[in-house]
Amino acid sequence: MHLDPFTLHRPTSLQEAIDRAGALAGRCDFLAGGTDLLPNYKMHLNLRPHLIDLGGVPELSGFGEGRIGAMVRLADLEADPRFARDYPGVVEAIRSVATPLVRAGASVGGNLLVETRCFFFNQSRLWRESLGYCLKAEGDRCHVVPQKERCYATFSGDLAPALLVLGATAEIAGPGGIRRVPLAELYDAQGDGIHRTRLQPGEILVAVHLPPAARGARASYRKLRIRPSFDFPEVGIAAALFGTPDRIERLALAAGGLESYPRLFPELTEAVAGGALEPAVLDRLAAGVQRSVRPVHNTSLEAAYRKRMAGVFARRALAALADPPAPAPGAAP
Amino acid sequence: MAERRELSFRLNGHPRTVPCADERLLLDLLREDLEMTGTKRGCDLGTCGCCAVLIDGRPSLSCLTLARRIEGREITTIEGLTPPSGLSPLQKAFVAAGATQCGFCTPGFIVAASALLAATPHPTREQVVAALGGNLCRCTGYTKIIEAVQAAGSP
Amino acid sequence: MAVPEPPRRLLGGRIPYIDGPLKVTGRAEYTDDLRRPGQLVGRILRSPYAHARILSIDTAAAERMPGVHAVLVGSDYPIPFGVLPITHDETALAVGKTRYIGDMVAAVAADSEGTAEEALRAIRVEVERLPEHLDPDAGTRPVAEPIHARGLNGTNVQKEVLQHFGDVDRAFREAAVSVAVHGNYAGVTHAFTEPLVTLAEATPDGRLTVWSATQVPHYLHRSLSEVLGVPMHRIRVIKPEVGGGFGGKSDPLPHEIVCAALALRTGRAVKILCDREDVFLTNHGRHPTRNEVRIAAAADGTLLAYDIDAVIDGGAWSSFGVVTTYYNGVLSMGPYRVPNFRYRGRRVYTNKPPSGAMRAHGGTNLRYSIEVALDELAERLRIDPFDLRSHNALPPNSTTVNGFRITSTSFRACLAAARERSGWDAKFRKLPFGRGVGLGCGFYISGSNSPIHFTPKMPQCTVHLKADMDGGIAVHSMQADIGQGSNTLLAAIVAEVLGVDLERVHVVRVDSDISPVDIGSYSSRVTFMMGNAARRAAEALRALLLRAARDLTGYPVEQLRMGHECVEVAHRPEIRVGFLEVLHKAMERTGALQTSGAYTSPPMGGTHKGARAGTAPAYSFAAYVAEVEVDAETGQYRAEKIWAAFDCGRALNRLAVEGQIEGSIHMGLGQFVGEAMTYRGPRLLNPSLLEYKIPMPGQMPEVEVLLVGDDDPEGPFGAKEAGEGPLIATLPALGNALYDAIGVRFLDLPVTPEKVLRGLDRRRAEGRSWKGG
Ligand SMILES: Cc1cc2nc3c(=O)[nH]c(=O)nc-3n(C[C@H](O)[C@H](O)[C@H](O)COP(=O)(O)OP(=O)(O)OC[C@H]3O[C@@H](n4cnc5c(N)ncnc54)[C@H](O)[C@@H]3O)c2cc1C
Ligand code: SF4
Ligand code: FES
Ligand code: FES
Repeated sequence: MHLDPFTLHRPTSLQEAIDRAGALAGRCDFLAGGTDLLPNYKMHLNLRPHLIDLGGVPELSGFGEGRIGAMVRLADLEADPRFARDYPGVVEAIRSVATPLVRAGASVGGNLLVETRCFFFNQSRLWRESLGYCLKAEGDRCHVVPQKERCYATFSGDLAPALLVLGATAEIAGPGGIRRVPLAELYDAQGDGIHRTRLQPGEILVAVHLPPAARGARASYRKLRIRPSFDFPEVGIAAALFGTPDRIERLALAAGGLESYPRLFPELTEAVAGGALEPAVLDRLAAGVQRSVRPVHNTSLEAAYRKRMAGVFARRALAALADPPAPAPGAAP
Repeated sequence: MAERRELSFRLNGHPRTVPCADERLLLDLLREDLEMTGTKRGCDLGTCGCCAVLIDGRPSLSCLTLARRIEGREITTIEGLTPPSGLSPLQKAFVAAGATQCGFCTPGFIVAASALLAATPHPTREQVVAALGGNLCRCTGYTKIIEAVQAAGSP
Repeated sequence: MAVPEPPRRLLGGRIPYIDGPLKVTGRAEYTDDLRRPGQLVGRILRSPYAHARILSIDTAAAERMPGVHAVLVGSDYPIPFGVLPITHDETALAVGKTRYIGDMVAAVAADSEGTAEEALRAIRVEVERLPEHLDPDAGTRPVAEPIHARGLNGTNVQKEVLQHFGDVDRAFREAAVSVAVHGNYAGVTHAFTEPLVTLAEATPDGRLTVWSATQVPHYLHRSLSEVLGVPMHRIRVIKPEVGGGFGGKSDPLPHEIVCAALALRTGRAVKILCDREDVFLTNHGRHPTRNEVRIAAAADGTLLAYDIDAVIDGGAWSSFGVVTTYYNGVLSMGPYRVPNFRYRGRRVYTNKPPSGAMRAHGGTNLRYSIEVALDELAERLRIDPFDLRSHNALPPNSTTVNGFRITSTSFRACLAAARERSGWDAKFRKLPFGRGVGLGCGFYISGSNSPIHFTPKMPQCTVHLKADMDGGIAVHSMQADIGQGSNTLLAAIVAEVLGVDLERVHVVRVDSDISPVDIGSYSSRVTFMMGNAARRAAEALRALLLRAARDLTGYPVEQLRMGHECVEVAHRPEIRVGFLEVLHKAMERTGALQTSGAYTSPPMGGTHKGARAGTAPAYSFAAYVAEVEVDAETGQYRAEKIWAAFDCGRALNRLAVEGQIEGSIHMGLGQFVGEAMTYRGPRLLNPSLLEYKIPMPGQMPEVEVLLVGDDDPEGPFGAKEAGEGPLIATLPALGNALYDAIGVRFLDLPVTPEKVLRGLDRRRAEGRSWKGG
């Protein structure tokens, strides 16, 4: 499968990348590892005539001191023993991404900005032509939830939930300079599902920052997938505990793989601050997550099943934070 | 086609300079332009591992790597992992274990496994399974492949 | 021969594949690795409509594009073809109608991929949409605008089979107990790692050479000739290394013919390489199937009757469908004795990608329903599942009610081995809730007795040997090694008979110019048929060598035998002549030695309509135990271990037999746990290796292979098949293990975690408890 011709730009500084993107406004995409973008290009999904390669931009590389450059490869992060010790939940999430061969190329930034997925979108031109193109590419309706305004494609990155629960912030550079926003605000809960983030055209994700408290915090990630490698999350739940299981200072839960953006559940977790991480709390939180999420049937597993599993996996992610990890509720029904 | 500019890199230890278009993929460069056909095309979408090569020693998917991206880098293909005569210990282990059936997945497995053994000379079974998680085999059920990698890595 | 044979050196041991060194170095040549001077890129335009009448195709703009060398449409080559001579209903490109999304409509040959794709997009096809037929049950009734004119009585039924032996109704009336199961099976596909690919070249001498990823070069050869109107002797078909087939490369496929047609049109070489979606759409995978299996038994568990009904979703073409329709009934005739048998099978065309032959063709879905029904029967009768099966096992040298000739069977030994090694008696119904063991058995043909495509009458298999002064022995055969190791076995048989080292023997790449005709790799025929032919060819060569040795040694032929790389006197092995010396002596009068061996299966089977379907010179038998662990909260489960007792007669290459069993279990596991061609309407939702869920290493159970077969009387050195049969028992072993684990029966495959969870919910809602759970 060849790629339609494009021009590849290889800036060597952040400023150059921003300028290039400004000059090519609307006609370019950024290329990080390309493990998401290139398959989509091969399927002729929303092609642009210019690609700006972020691989040579030094500001996006390197990690340490709570900062992770957007171009850091997942394979480098997972191989770093110090990172694994400091952020076990993030490494759990990384190891669950795709395959080792994909992770060799895949970047952290690309993972956070990965294109949302849908059975009616991630298809060839022949396939989409045969059904009629949809809102997300070249068309004017949605085949999952038939209407003409909103896309329900599923956000399927594994890292976002794991970073969200640690309170990460995103460093974004654009024509207007550099800004820092909570990672949660990178994603557009009110959006149309098509433009999956709040990045403005030409803006570049430079790095994510983790607050000092995140280092060494108890954190976990539980992923529902069909096979132990390759598969995108059908449910991805991250949890983090600040404090101890006996006295929760702050607890965070986040979900991906279920809706068109990853999200935290502050309305659930704020209520448990000050308490202990006991079975009744786990049950309540898990039930809350399950009630709250609204998957649609556009991935391999049925929506109702994924909703139910959101509860199960939330409970498992939380149970992994206890000391020793709380046993799963009896396997017996 | 976009214009073809020169691309310089090292291939299996030798410097190469070839004309290359921006949209050219490493897999196409290797198979079509350089006639290095040991690297296989199973899916072209990152979903089989047949096209794995080492980029600066790291096993990577050539079907999802723009060729321009390898400017100045060292590419090692299955051809480069093969000694001038005879077989490498890993290759010998594959033959002895019967780890090849149709053989189409084999170069990708050898590439991934050789990187594992370079980093972890005596891997556990779990480590082998994890490292081969991006390589699909439809023939063997993986049993003899895992056996071969462990045999090559046994002290 | 009067003299004792020396002990076997190769056969029966573990013989590393002779092509292993080429494969581990990337030096094995597959079709896409080949390139011819001036080669063009071929590309095919596929239909976005499931069922439509083609009103017009305008190719003018495409033809005018610079870099485009040829454009083809259906009317250019309208002669129909198909793998079975009685059901030619495919054409190279659609003629008149398109019958599924992905049906091939037009093709181009161009300088580059980009130009070829642009040209395809410039082709204008005007159509009138027709009603889509997607449900095979609905297709059994007359419909407006059936998919093919050849459907029975205005329906979409392509083939109906009705068979009745004994008196089934009476058996059910008189039975102490009966069980019925309704199975529903999603379609699955071969998903070999090497995509479909063909390279064809027309040369000015009037010849056409075709290299293709095929497992039956001979059928491709015939179809090319028929459709292109070129005599067979002017077409040369070459089979390079093939990256897996599993039945999917056994039909002659339209892209192969289109590729050759483009080569003829352009007078050049053209390659068509399918992408993954193309492969999914072109493939002829395992039929989606619904079946009902009713079994009647006496109180002591003796089986009295089977009553089977199957509706099989054929997709757009006939393919192997007639065979499939028979197999879905008659392959129930082993491994148990069943005195009364009735079968009604219908294969129905639908507007979906065609179905065809896939590993353990026709035996897999049927067997699952039967083995689950037997598990149920055993439970009702409170008989252990092993005892039930052992009690009913077909004896050696018997005949089934429909006329199958059973010669060797070690089925009882399979049962005994699986029972003992798995620790069955301590586990069955005794493991904690969520963990379980299950038994599933298998039965499969070892080579179809009736070659599909064989006129004039000829042997089913021929092997030629050539030994020349260089001392090498060249083996020519048109069986197709597609990864199963048949070339290795071929070489090993020749080396064994001649006493020479394996490296003296080279198997020449399949090439219709030099390889004697053989009908290829399907129906698990290769070891049995090629093995016998190879043995005979080698024995003929041996006879020439022994005669020469007689002249050299003065000992009569009767007292000579092949030793290691020599001919020796049987009772005085110290008297010997080296192989080369004997060979050169033998060549004195004739030059290079050439011998031929052939195999034809003996006459067998009854005289009723369809009696030949399912007859084979031998059958394989299997008994598998699977142990599974279920996560009752998520419905996810894991196959922990499979004990695979298999009767393939004598295993000639244990390495390869193990490999076939392990690979079969992996493929069976895939069909059970999650592989499925998933449709929404006529559209295949998952035409990719990401969404079609082939199991990964972490999902594979530990496999313990137990080879228990006795020598088969007619198999080469006692061997029978091990290529397809080993898949079948995997699925019911898993299904019955799930039942033992959680008390829920699953008859809707694949058994996804959603279904497991629903099953658990249902059981709990009904208040049925199971092993304390
Ligand atoms: C077979 C397969 C399986 C996969 N399975 C998983 C999985 O299980 N879990 C998972 O999370 N992902 C999975 N992926 C998707 C993908 O590989 C990963 O998400 C990966 O981390 C993406 O990173 P990348 O650097 O390759 O992104 P790219 O493909 O380079 O980029 C992705 C998107 O982000 C944009 N972008 C990237 N970086 C920046 C930046 N710094 N600033 C602005 N925009 C940017 C790009 O323009 C593009 O739109 C899978 C992919 C494949 C091929
Ligand atoms: S959710 Fe609807 S609009 Fe979005 S990609 Fe799927 S079909 Fe298209
Ligand atoms: S060809 Fe690259 S992963 Fe399949
Ligand atoms: S050996 Fe055939 S795919 Fe692995």
